[in-house]
Amino acid sequence: MGVVKKKSESLSRAARIFRLGAGVAGGYLAHQVQRPFLSEDEAKARRQSLGAQQAKRVREELQSLRGPIMKVGQALSMQTQALDPAWIEELSTLQRQAPPMHPSLIRAQFKSAMGKYPEEVFRSFEPEPFAAASLGQVHFAVTQAGEEVAVKIQYPAIREAIESDFKALRAAGFAARMTGHLKESVVQEAERGILEETDYVREADNLEYFRKHLEPLSFVRVPKVYRDLSSRRVLTMSRLGGRRLQEFLESNPSQEMRDRVGAQLVRLFFFQLFRMKALHADPHPGNYLFNDDGSLGLVDFGCVKHLKPEVVRCYGQFWSREWVQSNKIYAEMVRVAFPDEYRANARQVRRSMEEIKRFYDEFHPLADPPVLLDLGDPRFMEALGQLAKVLLKNKFLSPDFLFLSRTESGMCNILHILKTRVRTTQIVRELISPEVDRSSR
Amino acid sequence: MKSKRKSAQNVPPREGSAAEGKRDRKKELTKDRILAAALELFREKGLEGTTTKEISQRAGIAEGTLFNYFRTKEDLALFFFQKETDDLIAWYQGNTHLAKASLPEKLFAIMHRQLEYLAPSEDFIGAVFFRSLQPHSKLNPLSLESQQLRLRYLMFIRGILAEAEEKGEIPPLGDLGSYGVGLFYLGVVAHWLNDTSEGKQKTLAVLDRVLHGAMRIARKEGWEW
Repeated sequence: MGVVKKKSESLSRAARIFRLGAGVAGGYLAHQVQRPFLSEDEAKARRQSLGAQQAKRVREELQSLRGPIMKVGQALSMQTQALDPAWIEELSTLQRQAPPMHPSLIRAQFKSAMGKYPEEVFRSFEPEPFAAASLGQVHFAVTQAGEEVAVKIQYPAIREAIESDFKALRAAGFAARMTGHLKESVVQEAERGILEETDYVREADNLEYFRKHLEPLSFVRVPKVYRDLSSRRVLTMSRLGGRRLQEFLESNPSQEMRDRVGAQLVRLFFFQLFRMKALHADPHPGNYLFNDDGSLGLVDFGCVKHLKPEVVRCYGQFWSREWVQSNKIYAEMVRVAFPDEYRANARQVRRSMEEIKRFYDEFHPLADPPVLLDLGDPRFMEALGQLAKVLLKNKFLSPDFLFLSRTESGMCNILHILKTRVRTTQIVRELISPEVDRSSR
Repeated sequence: MKSKRKSAQNVPPREGSAAEGKRDRKKELTKDRILAAALELFREKGLEGTTTKEISQRAGIAEGTLFNYFRTKEDLALFFFQKETDDLIAWYQGNTHLAKASLPEKLFAIMHRQLEYLAPSEDFIGAVFFRSLQPHSKLNPLSLESQQLRLRYLMFIRGILAEAEEKGEIPPLGDLGSYGVGLFYLGVVAHWLNDTSEGKQKTLAVLDRVLHGAMRIARKEGWEW
């Protein structure tokens, strides 16, 4: 058994991934990037002295890289509890800014993927990107039929780059695996996930699946896929209107509007979880578009996860809290949430469950009428981070739940930025109940 | 300065009658026809497997006439690259987008254009690469014929680098810069010939990254992959 270090878990894991990822990218860069994360003591001292200037520099370094390291940066920016605000701000800009492909490279890559140049396929094609996607960039275009579309084009040979990065990550991550924090299964899952994202045919399948199954939610729009204008490396979709979160906030929406949008985001999230048992797994702000009428656009379906029914059931128990009264349900939850391979002992299981109950009782109480949760309250985000830390410490390591907690905290992060107030328990209660066709829509 | 370079590239117009000019144009057209026929056959049967007789038949001319234009298949290959260079320079000069682009994008676009030109004749290019290793071949990089062609390409690149130097994009590199680009291009072609990735996308990635990295080195900003 390795020595359990007293470091902050999420930060040391982050530092490890940073070191590994950066090591792959070259020594010079590794030096730049790992410096602020070297050890907890050092990091603490430095974190306080680090100005926005340095955060900016690291962000720029990360930005100049392509491949998984960018994803790591994005994932990190979601770790709002572990990092200083200056860092979060800088890292979160990674979401929409990737190293740009110049118009000549875009043309060449499009030709390589589709056999023709964009100007041969579209009526018009904007050479400057509208946005950077995680593994490519998005350009607006107009089809021959005159329809406005968004064309996502992938960096050339990104798949090969990711594969070789992970090979190196594996070699370097050996020590980490021995301490039990970074299991091979977790690394495999990460690699599989990121590699899946490089296949745009798969993403097109996801888009169509979600477009169909999200139909009952009239306030959500999902782009339509143009299959004949897509391939593994090019994805052509209908263009959605709406603004990004930052722009939406700059328009100074009323509290009423914030609450409405927040409630719809929450409904969208739990509808996917409880009804579809599948989740859009990349809830960073850039993937949501906000319309003036409060409706939402959802984009980027590169990462989608289908959940096992027992995982969804178990997660629903966090909310309904029936397990407190029922030994049978409790036993089932423990079986699902603490698979044997992670070797949590009885005390750790109890600690985790207590912590979960305490968190839900405080923020999502079973009161009637349901309470209005203020997601703009920093105490909520702190408690969420604290919960994640305690759970991790107590070997609450099932990949399904790690994934769920990451996605949920991403969602909460958006709601927090939005400063919204939502009756979370009411929405969850509606969606958790066995599916009944509600005539009122 | 541009126009001077341009006129130097084409066959210098000799003083003579209009009839002579017409004959020159006809000659050029015949050469083009022969090249097209030859490339077709190379694609079908390979460089070594194609005979001059077949080429002349396909082009619809007498075998003797063929020899008036091209003594050997190597002369044909040289003509192919001459056409390629003509095409490249004319295309570049007519491209308004590139005129405003950054140096790495310019060089990327140029080399991509070259590869696209070579793409339909990939097997032929591979065979030429192999041949060019033979010391007595005209395709050998040290042969005067190929040096002449090469020089034209290098001058073209030097013009582009000189513009970038004037704009302060890169420090003055002198002729070394264009030699470097020329050598790099040969490496890119070798990579491209061996690239089995879908749509040869690996070559695009290498091209893009190396050009950006080289820019940083030229600016003494340190290498970054």
